[in-house]
Amino acid sequence: MSDQAIVRINDLRKSFGDLEVLKGVDLEVTKGEVVVILGPSGSGKSTLLRCVNRLEEPTGGEVWFEDTLVNDKKTDINKVRERIGMVFQSFNLFPHLTAKGNVMLAQQKVLKRDKATAAEVAVRQLTRVGLADKIDYYPAQLSGGQQQRVAIARALAMDPHVMLFDEATSALDPELVRGVLDVMRSLAKAGMTMMVVTHEMGFARDVADRVVFMDEGVIVEQGTPSEVFDNPKSERTKDFLGHIA
Amino acid sequence: MDALLESLTTIGRIFFDVEKMSQALPIVLSAFPVSVFIGVVSFVLAIPGGLLLAFMKMARTRVVRWPATFYVDVVRGTPLFLQILIVYFGLTLLPFYQTLIREVPQLKQPFLFGIDFTIYLRAFFVLSFNSAAYMAEIFRAGIQSIPKGQMEAARSLGMSTPQAMAFVIIPQTVRRILPTLMSEFILLFKDTALLAAVGVAEMTLRSREFVASTFNQSAYMVAAAFYLLVTIPLGRLVGRLEDKLAESEGGGGAKRPPTLLAPEIDAEHVVAHSEGIPTTGSSPNPITGGPR
Ligand SMILES: Nc1ncnc2c1ncn2[C@@H]1O[C@H](COP(=O)(O)OP(=O)(O)O)[C@@H](O)[C@H]1O
Ligand SMILES: [Mg+2]
Repeated sequence: MSDQAIVRINDLRKSFGDLEVLKGVDLEVTKGEVVVILGPSGSGKSTLLRCVNRLEEPTGGEVWFEDTLVNDKKTDINKVRERIGMVFQSFNLFPHLTAKGNVMLAQQKVLKRDKATAAEVAVRQLTRVGLADKIDYYPAQLSGGQQQRVAIARALAMDPHVMLFDEATSALDPELVRGVLDVMRSLAKAGMTMMVVTHEMGFARDVADRVVFMDEGVIVEQGTPSEVFDNPKSERTKDFLGHIA
Repeated sequence: MDALLESLTTIGRIFFDVEKMSQALPIVLSAFPVSVFIGVVSFVLAIPGGLLLAFMKMARTRVVRWPATFYVDVVRGTPLFLQILIVYFGLTLLPFYQTLIREVPQLKQPFLFGIDFTIYLRAFFVLSFNSAAYMAEIFRAGIQSIPKGQMEAARSLGMSTPQAMAFVIIPQTVRRILPTLMSEFILLFKDTALLAAVGVAEMTLRSREFVASTFNQSAYMVAAAFYLLVTIPLGRLVGRLEDKLAESEGGGGAKRPPTLLAPEIDAEHVVAHSEGIPTTGSSPNPITGGPR
């Protein structure tokens, strides 16, 4: 195991009642790596991401974040989550706060940054995602793409060591997808460690260091984008890529 | 034609006698602050109680949930009038209450508007404990109407559950339930009239005294006007707030239910209440506009 590993998942299992959704997943993400997770709907991709910051409680196996066993009852999960940014399909911006307020809140309440610092960071991060002119807008006044970029800025403001993206562009109108993907692309270029669940094959091909294909709760195949896209070994992968293309 | 005119005149004399009304006006007016004071204080006191009950009802452990459910069921399932009778006459029999009165005799002194404090105390007690049970449902439904993604987003940023509640969930809940809560105040304010039966000198009692001594109903119309003075503007405000809310919830990224509160809550609330509410009349929400 590399000591550069930021996320290390060993034999991860998760059941909802009788339904076993993750059936022993092993995955390691090293610093600066962009791992794109592909797979059909219901294969457990979201559940996998949500186990990393324990939004779902694993039923078996281990999830490590840096030196911390995430799924240990004794772990202060809030300390872990401070450093794991998550971006949701449905944005989940706080509708009662402006874009700036959204980005400031956790900085102040969790990282205990003073107001001026939090505001400064908020403006910087919102500028970074191309929303310098929208800082005082409420979510309801923004397009879906803009909202998602605020959500990214909100996560980035916490100085995360890894970012989780769960179908960040799936709820967007096609013409708004580009802007969000561009932000993710530039993040990757800047060296951010990322775990990305997406159906954007172009993005996966261009940006991923590694592509992981999941089906029915297991990792079926993984490799570089060209290995997986141009030379898939598993029938299931071929099948899936055939359907997408 | 003459007969019709005659009966109209009679009705006018019995209910709308100008002279009697002008005599009743200062009397009812002097009791107006009593009604408002009892209504407002009881309402404010009910809020923390309602919140506590709401959180208890949402608790994971049954031991916490059960007492709150029991309390809410009992309070909402019995007439407020009965509760008033029990508290007004029952409370005074309790040893701790008698000790309190003995130790702090000032409580028996006239407090505000010439009424002694123990009267207010019992009014606050029964009305706020009653209203808290209704508020518990309003708060619970309001909190649960906030999309799950809000809590998840807050937690994913490292906030604790209490932090997420305080800075993300509750502020959104307050905005959403404000109209419903104001309607609850309207109901509570009208319910203060029931205190007339136990001798609290609020508007309804004072007008009844006047009616009894003059054999004329006009004082009741004056009292009605004073109740409407509060309830109609508030009811209009409720309607306006609801419209504004519907407007501002267009975004936020997460889908919202079309009505403020879950339908099953509405039904429950309507069943549990038992008298009319003169609010906007155009309100689409059964809680804010419905009968009690
Ligand atoms: N909270 C839950 N309760 C019950 N079943 C769930 C829950 N979350 C996900 N599932 C089920 O787990 C399976 C995997 O879901 P998910 O991880 O969301 O897949 P994906 O993101 O790959 O589409 C699906 O069958 C889904 O219905
Ligand atoms: Mg998913």
